[in-house]
Amino acid sequence: MTVPLSSGRPLSILIAAMGGEGGGVLTGWIVDAALRAGYPVQSTSIPGVAQRTGATTYYIEIWPEKTTQRPVMCLNPMPGQVDVMIASEFVEAGRAIANGYVSPDRTLLIASTHRIFAVAEKSAMGDGRYDTGKLFRAAKDHAKRTILFDMDQAAKDSGSILNAVLLGALAGSGVLPLPASDFENGIRAEGKAVDSNLAGFRFGLSHGEDEIAARAAVLSSLPPAAAIPALADRIARLPMNVQTFAAEGIKRLVDYQGVSYARLYLDRLDTVVKLGDEGLAKETARHLALRMSFEDVIRVAQLKLKPERFAAIEREQRVKPGQPYTVAEFLKPGVEEIASLLPPAMARSVIALCERKGWTEKLHLAMTVQSNRIGGYLKLRLLAGLRGWRPRSARYVEEQARIEDWLDLIRRAAKLDMNLAREIVDCARLIKGYGDTFKRGAGNFERIRARVILPALEHRIAPAAATDALVQARTAALADPEGQSLGNMLADFEATLRPAIPQAAE
Amino acid sequence: MERSFAKEIESLRLGDGDIFRGEGILAVTKAILQSGVSYVGGYQGAPVSHLVDVLVQAQDILDDLGIHLETCTNEASAAALLGASIHYPARGCVTWKAIVGTNVASDALSNLASPGVTGGALIVVGEDYGEGASVIQERSHAYAMKSSIWLLDPRPDLPTITRCVEEGFELSEATNTPVMLELRIRACHVTGEFPAKTNKPAKVSRNSRLPGPSAFNYDRLAHPPATFMQEKLKLEQRLPAARKFILERGLNEIMPGDLSEIGIVVQGGLYNGLNRALMNLGLADAFGNSRVPTLVLNVTYPLVPEQLVQFCAGKRAVLMVEEGSPEYIEQALHTALRRADVNTRVHGKGMLPAAGEYTIEVLTRGLLAFMKSEQPQIDVSAADTAFSGALENRKAAQAVIGTDLPMRPPSFCTGCPERPVFTAIKLVEREIGKVHIAADIGCHALATFAPFSLGHSILGYGMSLASAAGVGPLMNTRSLAIMGDGGFWHNGVLSGVASSMFNRGDGVLVVMQNGYTSATGVQYIPSSAGNRVDGLSSGSDIETTVKALGVKWVKRIRSYSLGPMREALRDALTTTTRGLKIILAEGECMLARQRRLRTEESRALKAGERVLRTRFGIDDAVCTGDHSCIRLSGCPSLTIKPNPDPLRTDPVASVNSGCVGCGHCGEVAHAAVLCPSFYKTEIVHNPGWWDRFSDRLHRTVIGWLGGRAAAPAPMPAAGE
Repeated sequence: MTVPLSSGRPLSILIAAMGGEGGGVLTGWIVDAALRAGYPVQSTSIPGVAQRTGATTYYIEIWPEKTTQRPVMCLNPMPGQVDVMIASEFVEAGRAIANGYVSPDRTLLIASTHRIFAVAEKSAMGDGRYDTGKLFRAAKDHAKRTILFDMDQAAKDSGSILNAVLLGALAGSGVLPLPASDFENGIRAEGKAVDSNLAGFRFGLSHGEDEIAARAAVLSSLPPAAAIPALADRIARLPMNVQTFAAEGIKRLVDYQGVSYARLYLDRLDTVVKLGDEGLAKETARHLALRMSFEDVIRVAQLKLKPERFAAIEREQRVKPGQPYTVAEFLKPGVEEIASLLPPAMARSVIALCERKGWTEKLHLAMTVQSNRIGGYLKLRLLAGLRGWRPRSARYVEEQARIEDWLDLIRRAAKLDMNLAREIVDCARLIKGYGDTFKRGAGNFERIRARVILPALEHRIAPAAATDALVQARTAALADPEGQSLGNMLADFEATLRPAIPQAAE
Repeated sequence: MERSFAKEIESLRLGDGDIFRGEGILAVTKAILQSGVSYVGGYQGAPVSHLVDVLVQAQDILDDLGIHLETCTNEASAAALLGASIHYPARGCVTWKAIVGTNVASDALSNLASPGVTGGALIVVGEDYGEGASVIQERSHAYAMKSSIWLLDPRPDLPTITRCVEEGFELSEATNTPVMLELRIRACHVTGEFPAKTNKPAKVSRNSRLPGPSAFNYDRLAHPPATFMQEKLKLEQRLPAARKFILERGLNEIMPGDLSEIGIVVQGGLYNGLNRALMNLGLADAFGNSRVPTLVLNVTYPLVPEQLVQFCAGKRAVLMVEEGSPEYIEQALHTALRRADVNTRVHGKGMLPAAGEYTIEVLTRGLLAFMKSEQPQIDVSAADTAFSGALENRKAAQAVIGTDLPMRPPSFCTGCPERPVFTAIKLVEREIGKVHIAADIGCHALATFAPFSLGHSILGYGMSLASAAGVGPLMNTRSLAIMGDGGFWHNGVLSGVASSMFNRGDGVLVVMQNGYTSATGVQYIPSSAGNRVDGLSSGSDIETTVKALGVKWVKRIRSYSLGPMREALRDALTTTTRGLKIILAEGECMLARQRRLRTEESRALKAGERVLRTRFGIDDAVCTGDHSCIRLSGCPSLTIKPNPDPLRTDPVASVNSGCVGCGHCGEVAHAAVLCPSFYKTEIVHNPGWWDRFSDRLHRTVIGWLGGRAAAPAPMPAAGE
């Protein structure tokens, strides 16, 4: 009749990875180590089309003791029954947690905290990054134990690959009944990049043993801006938490146009500081500096020639000292951008002509300039040299008008409602970039100004309502390049007002 | 080939007494060689690509055994290949991805199954069902039933899988019927071991050829009136013979259990999951000892009614564990029991879901329901609590993580030559408005995902142009069909191009000429530069072919040349010239290209030869964080990073170390007039005297001019 049921379950290991990362290699190493120890082991995977950078998983079961009879092993994981969850990227770890493969009574979560951003996060018009703070919480709450650190960085530091570090962390965790030597021998036996893989493995091993606490990637704190003697005292007179941005601002504007321009910045800033709200002043200091250092052809040339830039390139592109290399810039200023360097009157007529002829969309000056070669360098120097001319250019005059108007809106709003003023300050982030991007942003700001800000300042909308509307409008403006969401949002907003205050309809 | 199988090929040489270790699909390949086959063929597709890929690289093994290998141009020709087994005592095996491949093969399959076979004919189908599947969710089972082809669904462990391959050939010969072996995705990739046997040369092979053709025999033609007789043969002789063979060989296994009031009937392929589910309920152990009697169907068609009746007789109820719909086996089970007047209750769909993969979670839920209703005296509360506990934990986790966790669908590889074409389409649509886009099967189908989100329909492999034939005439704007060169040769050339010419179609077709079927693992096609047999091109050129079919408007354009591609698309979609317009987008698959270049480059670097390495980058200070470049590209190496500018908050675009320097970013920046933040670096490795001299000259002069001093750069710490 039937044999009595024996107890015991296989160890269950689930690996979450992205196609092309070599999750198969990691799986192979683990399987190999189990075989070396003489334990029954089985792995499987679902490569499919996910091999092309998509999210995918590998699944392993190990029977943790020698046996003559082969156990029945499974081909997919079961929520609540995973012993080790390995994730090569942090959002993939989050996906595994959300799928129930990490449980408080059982699962060791080994994950790299670095991010590889998904298309949805990258393609957002502003900041579309997923907030990983939630993931750290979920990991702590739902795993029995965690080994979390930036293994991508660790791999780079130890001149190895991510998978080797993950393997080391697994070996170090001591969850599997496998000695580190079995893993190392597997790496040696494979014979590919043995030394670097072993280096990464040992790095992970040590971190696995003394579980390193997770550290979120935090933005580098602000570098102290070199004070400009002439203006140092004026900065000192600003409220404490406005000073950093202001210092950074004048540093930038001195480089952008000159000391007197930086002084203009401080004059403008003072008019907002006077309003007596430090938060408002601080954000204005930030946005005002950006708006006053608007990107024109001259600015681009300036930035392209900065020495620190070439140092950065050599670092990023791994150029060895003294190694010959060239840098080619892709510049394509449109006729408008070029014309806007002319004096206002001239520029206006040229642009008018171009619009009549329908050239504005078509006419572009496409250049590929080698900025670290004499010819290209001179071209850029020439453009950057126009800095002295800039104040006479149409674009400059336009921008100063725009900036003054914006500041005026802020000051008027501050008298009504400080929150409203703050939101108006923040609307500046819509205006950025070059060519179409800039036009789109400026256009969006204009729509919001006409349909939310002005009505509020003219007491046709309650300040509180306008404040909320501005928050929504900013999000909507950044939702799609076609400006559809913003249009809908504004329409809905006005619809909600109409019954209450009829004259609000414009 | 996507990869080298040198290691795997060694395991194909194993003989008696050796232990084979490896992947399921490779074990199948080994078992085929152990079965004395005369010929093998197939069409690539996950999860069975490896079967043929490995053999392609194992030519010497095939030569020793005299096996003919045919890398077919589609599944129909693979199925037709089995025609060799109709008359001749030659064993043959073909493979493809199901359900789609079986659909394409079905005409030949019907005409093969009707006359039947002399030599064993085995069809290995990769049942692309459940998580990781890339095709519509249907079952191969229907084809087995309608054509009278026997269907094996072995337990997913290597000994059982290989046994089913070997005995499958015998079953085929014993019943003159082709046999289909179904392997699910995870079973194809499952690793394990089995005792190997020495490979067996066939009686009939390239090394021992037949003297000549067999005598004329009308009865072996799938042609009336023979077909009427063949239908009878299927049902009156082959079917009973198959059932006899299945019983005699014990192909289906009965696992005993003490709970004799109930039982489970399960597809072999689901057995391991079922056993785990039984373990979860405390009704089985890890070695397959179970309290619930279980009938494991390693053969799911035909079923053996007497076996089913015998198993069910005297039981209150059985649970039918059958994945997918319709529930053919469950229906057959009902019929068998009814006819035998056995009143055992049959549970199946209802307790188990009608659609979707039967994971351990699904099986555990179903089993809990079954036990509660049929064996209430057995306490499964512990299992119940554990199960719901796991699901509660998942709910809680989802609450914390939220619904906004970014999805990560597959996307074009870094530097893929197909990406720029879709950028061009996006740019053209900005000018002339949206057009109907008929998508197709292949890597280019990835353009249906963000950031492109292009494509209105997918009707099958190579069917895009055909699927647009009815749309164009009904619309004011021209329709655009996308097709890969793989799809073109698979059948697009006839069902699409020829048909469009024949009907005076006025559509636009873009053929992605990357030189391989890349999504399936980079296999050669007729227009490839190479060929597995002699390394030379087969000489089947797409441009010549479509011109021979009468197409006048044909443009061949380098896919990375965004400007010209945009021109051509605009022209094709707006020109007054009527008739089919074809754009051949040329650019070798970057996977294949990199594999070649990397080896070549590392050799050149070692040899101290001059190597120019191109990379792209973005100036943090110039990028304003609008990311339109990403919306027009979606390249994996074009990503974002925190803004180093203390005054800015939006992340800046950044090119990571994965960049292969395809140049698309630069093209986009120019064509779409994006920001001027992109730059291209060309770094000279092993520079010659001229490189050094000119570089020093430029540095010095620029130094004089007050530019940056040629200061040595600190070595890299981080990659991006």
